[in-house]
Order: sequence, then C-alpha cells, then structure tokens
Amino acid sequence: MFQNYLAASLRNLARNGQYAGITIAGLAIAFAAAILIGLYVRDELSYDSWVPGHQQVFLVRQKITGALAKPIVEETTPGALADLMKLDFPQLQYVARLSGGTYPPALRRGDISISERRFIWVDPDFFKIIAPPAVAGDPATALAAPDHLVLTRSAARKYFGRDTPIGGVLQVDGTPMSVAAVIEDWPTNSNVSGDVFGSSLAPQSLIPDMTKAGMLSNSLQTWIKLKPGADAATVSAALPGFVARRMMPAVNRIAPDEHLRIQLWLEPITAMHLDPVESGTFVPETDPAVVAAIGVIGGLIVVVAAINFVTLMTARASRRAVEVGVRKALGAGRRDLFVQFMGEALVYVAVALIVAVAIAEIVLPGLNTVLQRKMTFDYLGDPALLVTMLVVTAVVGLLAGVYPAMVLSAFRPASVLKGGPIANTGGGGLRQALVVTQFCVLIVVLLAAITIARQTVFAVNEGTHVKQDAVVLLFASPCTDTLRDAVKAVPGVESAACSSPGAISLTNSIDNVVAHGRRVNLDWAPVDFGFFEIYKLHPLAGRTFAADHPADDGANHTDDAPPIVINEAAVHALGYSSAQAAIGQVVNWHFRAISLKLAGSGQTSPYRSSQIIGVVPDFTFGSVRAAIQPTFFFVAQKIDFLSSVVLNIRLDPARMTQTLPRVERVWKDVSHGQPLQEVFASQFMLRLYINTIIQGAFVAVCALIAVSVACLGLFALSAYTAERRTKEIGVRKAMGASSSDILKLLLWQFLWPVLAANLIAWPIAFLVMNWWLQGFAYRIDQSPWTFLAAGAAAVVIALATVFFQGLRVSRAKPVSALRYE
Amino acid sequence: MLKLENVSKVYRTSEVETQALGEVSLEIADGEFVAIMGPSGCGKSTLLNLLGLLDSPTAGAYWFFGEDVARRSEAQLTRLRREHIGFVFQSFNLIDDLTVAENVEVALLYRKVPRAERKQRVREALERVGIAHRAGHRPQQLSGGQQQRVAVARALVSAPKLILADEPTGNLDTANGEAVMALLTEATRSGVSVVMVTHSLAQAAAAQRTIKLLDGRVVSETLLAA
Repeated sequence: MFQNYLAASLRNLARNGQYAGITIAGLAIAFAAAILIGLYVRDELSYDSWVPGHQQVFLVRQKITGALAKPIVEETTPGALADLMKLDFPQLQYVARLSGGTYPPALRRGDISISERRFIWVDPDFFKIIAPPAVAGDPATALAAPDHLVLTRSAARKYFGRDTPIGGVLQVDGTPMSVAAVIEDWPTNSNVSGDVFGSSLAPQSLIPDMTKAGMLSNSLQTWIKLKPGADAATVSAALPGFVARRMMPAVNRIAPDEHLRIQLWLEPITAMHLDPVESGTFVPETDPAVVAAIGVIGGLIVVVAAINFVTLMTARASRRAVEVGVRKALGAGRRDLFVQFMGEALVYVAVALIVAVAIAEIVLPGLNTVLQRKMTFDYLGDPALLVTMLVVTAVVGLLAGVYPAMVLSAFRPASVLKGGPIANTGGGGLRQALVVTQFCVLIVVLLAAITIARQTVFAVNEGTHVKQDAVVLLFASPCTDTLRDAVKAVPGVESAACSSPGAISLTNSIDNVVAHGRRVNLDWAPVDFGFFEIYKLHPLAGRTFAADHPADDGANHTDDAPPIVINEAAVHALGYSSAQAAIGQVVNWHFRAISLKLAGSGQTSPYRSSQIIGVVPDFTFGSVRAAIQPTFFFVAQKIDFLSSVVLNIRLDPARMTQTLPRVERVWKDVSHGQPLQEVFASQFMLRLYINTIIQGAFVAVCALIAVSVACLGLFALSAYTAERRTKEIGVRKAMGASSSDILKLLLWQFLWPVLAANLIAWPIAFLVMNWWLQGFAYRIDQSPWTFLAAGAAAVVIALATVFFQGLRVSRAKPVSALRYE
Repeated sequence: MLKLENVSKVYRTSEVETQALGEVSLEIADGEFVAIMGPSGCGKSTLLNLLGLLDSPTAGAYWFFGEDVARRSEAQLTRLRREHIGFVFQSFNLIDDLTVAENVEVALLYRKVPRAERKQRVREALERVGIAHRAGHRPQQLSGGQQQRVAVARALVSAPKLILADEPTGNLDTANGEAVMALLTEATRSGVSVVMVTHSLAQAAAAQRTIKLLDGRVVSETLLAA
C-alpha cells in the first residue's frame, strides 16, 4: 500500500512539474534563509563560549555619573585598576590589561614596513585568561619577557612567510622584539581580536603611560579570571567598597568640583557582546534587539513559505479529486487518505530541505565575507544542528500538511466521481488573510531596507557636516610643521593642516571650564592653522585661527592661554544667546595641564583665561549616533600624538592621481622610513558605519528573500484562483465579458490584498524604523514618499507576478472553460 | 436569421484529429424554436458552441444576422455575443459567489447598461421566471429547478436575438423541466430564436423543428406543425 501511495505521490510530483517546482522552490528558499539566519543568530549568541573556563572570565566595566551631560558606560578602565584589584581580591586568579589598536606602532622586518593596526599591548597573564589554541610555543608564559611577542598564524605568515617563526625578530617602533609563541587566528565570534601581541613590560609599550595618566583616563580593558570555585557575586558585592577606598580619593583630587560617581561591575565574557556599551569597545558589539529582529524575520520567512505550501497543496485539490473518489470507492477510509496526503507533504518538505542545504552551502561563503564572520555549516559533524534542522522541517511539514490533507481526504466520492461540485476547499477568507500577511511582511522589510540605506547615505554625506571629498588623512605622530610645509609645497595639494585625534573624533577629552561663574564640561581639541578651511567650515561669527596672528599660537603662551574657537553646541552649553554674542567672551580652562602633559596627569593646575575669537558650525568625524559634543579648539604646540596625530590634506580633485604619489615621496623623505598610513577621509568616516551597513545588507537580503517567497505564494494563489474560477470566467465570457474585463477582475482580486497590506504595514514600519532612528542623534525624517514608493513597489511586484497567469486565463476561449465542468 | 453553410469543425491535438462537425448547413429563422438531438459525441455541443460564437468553425461560413462571422477575432465575437446571445446550460453555470440577482446582472454588466436600469431589468427578468422572491439567495441555496430558472432569467435579461440552451432540462425533474420549456417557448413569441440541445423527445416536441445529428452530420430535419 505504501508503495502505491509513494508512486502516486512521486508521479503526481513529476506530472505537476510547475506546481511541484514552485512548491519546493518556495520552501527551499525559506529553509535556506532560515538556516543561514539561524547560523548568524547562533554565532551572535556564541561569542567567546569557546574560551576554556569562560564561566570564570569577566571584563571589568564601569559607569561614570556626575556633572556630565549624561552618564558614560564604558568597558575601558584606568590602568591602575588591575594592580589594585589584585591586592584587594584574593578570589582573582589572573588579571590582565589590554590596549586597543588606536595608536598603531611601526612594525618592520627587512623590506616589510607596516603601521600595524592590529597590534595590541597586553599584560603577561593575558593568554592565561583567554587564548586560542597554540600553534607553537606557550602563549601563557611567552609575554613574561619584555621583548617577547605573540603572533597569530595570519600575522606569522604575513611577516615571516611561515607558521612557526619562533625566535624571529620584528622591529616594533624601532626596538627589536622576538616571537615567543604563535596562536591560531581569533574566531570571529570573539570579543578579542588582534594579530600581534606585545608584552606590556616592553619599554615602548603604551600601557605604563596610560596607567600614569590617572584614575579618570580610561583607555585599557581590564580582564579577570576568578580562581576555580570563587564566586563572582562575592567579588561584585565588594566592588562598591573597593571603588570608595581605592579610586575615589584620586578621582576627587583630579576633579574636585564634578561630584563624580563611579560604579564597577563584572561583565561575563559570554554576555558582553549582546550587552553593548557606548564607548571603549575594541570589537563591535551588537544590539540584542537587532539579533532578535533578524531571528524574527527568519521565522516569518518560514511561516510565509509554509502558508504558500498550504495554498498550493489545496489549490491542487481539484486535480486530485478523481483519485480521491476512486480510492474511496475502492474502500479507502478517510484516515488512509489523510495518511497518504500527509506523507506527500513530508516528501515535499524533505526534498525542499535537501535543496535548502545545497543553497545554504553555496551562499554561506559570500555571507561570511559580507558579515566578516567565519560561520560554518557542518551539519554532519554537528548533531545538534542536524537534529534541529530535521525537527523544524518535520514540524513545518506536519503543520502545513494537516490542512490540505484534511481537505483532500474529505471529498465525497459520489460527488467527485459524477463530476459534480467538489466539496468546497474553503478557507477563502483565510487565504486572503495569508496574502495580506505576506505582503505586510514584505512591505515592512522593504521599508526597513530603504530607511537604513537612506540613513547610512545621510550619515556618511551630510550628518557629520564635514566636506570630506578630496581630503586625505595622513597619520603621523606627531604631525610636525616640517611635514606639513613639505606636503603643502607639493603641486596639486590645495592645503594641509595638522590636527589632534580629538579634532577628528578619534578620542574625546573633556575639560571642566568656568565661564561667568558657571562650570561646564567641554570637549577640547588642538588644531592647526587652516584646519577648518580644509573641511570648508566657515565661521558663523568672528574668525578662525590665522598664522598671521602670532597670538593665536599656543606655543607663544606660557602664563596665559591662547584664544579659542568654539562650536555651536558650545555656544548653547555656555549659555550665549547667539554665535555673535559669544565673540570676545572669556572662558577659564586648564591650558597648561592640557598642552604640556595633556590631560589627566593627576596634577591640578590653575585656570587660565582665553578669549573666544570665533564660532564654527557643529561637525564630527564620529558616528552620527552620538550628538555632537560642545567643543573648543585651540592651536597647540605639536609635541606628541595627543596634540597632533594626523595631517589633513585637501587635494585638487582634478589632479588626485598624480598628486598622491608625490605626497608619498615627501613622506618617505621626511619620515625616516616610518610606514605610510593614509586614508581618504570618506573611507575613514565609513569605518563607523560598518555595522549599520552590515545590518542594512542583511535586511536587504531578507527583503529579497521575503519578496521572492511572497511572489511564489502569489503565483500559487493566482494559479489556484484561475483553476477555481475557470467556470466563472467561462460564464462571464459567454455573457459577453471581454478578455480585458476578465483580466481586470483577476488583477483586482490580487490588488486589494496588497493595498490592504500597505495600510497595515505602514504604521508598523513607521514605528519600527522610528525606534531604529532614535539611536542616531542626527537622522533623516521618515518621508511619506518612501512609504508610497515601497507600496508602489509591492503593487508592481504583485501585479507582475499574477499578470501572465491572468492574461493566459483571460484569453482562453470560453468554450474550454465551460467544458472544464 | 442564422445561416450555416458547409460548416465543419476539427479538433486537433498533437496525436489525433477529430472531426466534430462535417459540412453542416442549416438556417434558423427569427423567432424559431429549434431542437437538436443526437447520441453522445455526435457534435451537438460543438454546433451549439459555434452558433453561440464561443468557438469558430474550421471551415465554412456562418451568417449571423447578415454578417459572416466565421473568421472574426475573439474581440469581435465577444462584442456580438454580448449584444445578441443568451445562454442556458445543463449544469446551470451560476457563479457560486454571487447572489441570484447578481448572477442575472452579470449579463448586463458587460453591456454597459446604467446601474438603475440594470436593477430594474434584473427585477423584471426574475419576476418573469417567478424567482424574484429568492433574489438575495446564493445559487447553492436553491433547488435545481430554481437554479435553472435563474439561468433562463440571465439569458432573457439582456433581450438577446438568440438563446442557446444546452440540455436545459437534463438535470431537472419533469415538472421543473416543463416550466423551463414554457419559459423558452414564451421567449420565441417576442421574436427570439431559441436553439436547444436535448435528449428528450417530449421536450423536442415543444420545438418547431428538430434537427438530428449523427457523427457530426445532419441526418434528418423534422418540421412540426406550428
């Protein structure tokens, strides 16, 4: 009997090639999407779960509140924290600090000379806390010597051309260091990344300097591993006491008037990726809401495909009616037929799963490239994955199979065999509701993709208020007048000016200034003459710094402070009524402390007063997610990387290709062999939006899948309708309806659910994208045109899908339609 | 007046060629009631489809009220059908999703009759066949006889010159069958030609002329006394 059923199923599948193809294609696309989305979600949820003993590994995070515009939550902490915690907490097995890649050192070996952005300074115990498998040497002990390095396999190949260059020497900022261990590359689902790790004990390491910078200088991550059996809760409970005892005295000495409060806590390594903070992250973290949203979209795609499956199976009901009638007449019970049709549904989903697995395997490498992940789809070696896939498939097959099987097995044999009316396959309202639902999903996803694309374009081009086209950034620490003047002399260079990392939003440094008796926190950023002009930032009032005013230069001031330029946000923060009103006003700040040792040295210094000479528009090189901070600018001595880290060069757009090599030659002459590190300002900005772009790409892909699955569904429904309304169409034609009358009738049937879907989808999309846009301080307005465009696109897609089916049916001769009965 | 001259119809599929009608010639006068009889597969329905412009002949000429329509386009046939022909089918062919009144209205919908006039004429047609009290019901809520009366109303409502009936009483009991026959006969009095396919000699007797078909050819014509 089973053989007979299987034969009927397979032959039916083969005979209805088009139906079967559509049914399986829809399911397969949806399953493939679900598999890939599932892999992505699993990857997001699995950050650092590969770390041995990860239950005992934590990052110390802190929240600073007080006289700040808003609380800061960050995962970088003061350098001194590590030693103090080691003293006070016997539960800690290891503590290690890690510096991010903000100030890349020059690495050289033979002809190779690279400014290594993936260079990380770490304490010797770091690899006892977190380490990928060792390739050679022992990473856990390698960094105990001050001149030792640990390389990843990729870095070993990059610098030495082989996997185990133990003992090999690299010049790090001019000092030789040798490779003591090689580790595997970091998994992409790790909160730590980096290719070359130097011991913090090295003389040129940044960690001691960053530690000396004091209790309010937060640029290092502090990682801890608890002793086996030690309880994180006990440590956490003792942290407030620790902060009061060990940190607050120093903090209050540095910033006596700011009433700061500091809170520390232990963030489990496996939790931090989905618990993002605003600053100090070295590896991008993800908003769990976005992961959840992508997961939900994956689920919706499967639901939509399952709906299509139901529609298609019931649509074919009338074709199977005679088979059902004959089988019943010959003694098959309803249960037998139910089993047969359920089995058929399972055959379909099984075939779809096989196709889906193939699609997923083909698409995954591309997805990995886009998302910069190393997700694997090893379903044979991963029983959990295999079982999940099979169970989900079986559940979809059973759920989607039940309804068609019930409808088909319920046909009355007498009626079908006589050719009389087939039992109503019913659920017309249900099917319409399903179409509306499908198009709702489609339109929401479409709108999300459009909005994300618009916001990204806006963020890169306009939100920052910086005219960065034809501007190149050349990193040099420090950027000197010699370099600037040499580059300025190159034909094709319109202008050049040094600036601090603060001016291009690489760092932000805050000073507590006093103006007219009120205390305000302002960001500060040293710049060079001509900096604002390069970015076409024209003063709103007053003037910018000019080389022919010697008093503008901070180098000419010792006992008093040079004049300052402020941005519009600072005009409001300082309480002036207008930009014009700010000109000539006096602001008191810590000029000497800032310009000589630059910030947070732990020593207090007297206030100096400066006059405001100009106001510039708000601008940022940072993410438009954050509001532009009130900031003041001054011309400082170019003594180190904090005062002057980058040369901003505006090129003549017409001659860029000839000019860049000339600039590079100048760099070679001036830099004494330091590696060149230059980047177009527009690319520099783009780095901030990688996550947004990836999210956008992901949503766009989902939109595409949703569109194709929804189209298949619509096509299925139009086929179903054509079949079901054949008689009606024949009658109408006999009554004198023309082909175009019939076409209009059929198209309207599919048009109205799409129109209804628009009405439901618009408010949903509006609210969702409104919520998403709230994350940006500078954002686009949601335009009604976007909604109309997405709606129109959905209508066009829907009509195009059903048009040909409609055309075919409407042009058929009425006699063939009537004979069908 | 309708006139067929040597009309044949051949159905071709990839493998076989079937001659459904071979060189049929006949005339039907205005207001004439003609019955077509013959065994299954003799070409009755094909003839009716040709007469009703639902299909075009393979060869021959068809003069439809003075126009040769054998080689017209689908659009022109649609126009003629809309203006001049009403249909009654054995299986009623009412649209399940529409009410009785709406089903009748379909015949006027494509003739661009103004809405108010449509409602008026639908009501009159339903009264004429005695089914006005079920105007708001769905076809499936009616008996077979009632459904066929709706179908007749649908054929009459557009005031056609020709009504084609394909075994209109085939699915009805005797009483209902006779009622439908009476409606058709009455229609001929106002000058409408009626062509009816039937198996029943008794029904054929109601017609003025009976044409017998066998294997796609006319084998006899019987003229009954008017």
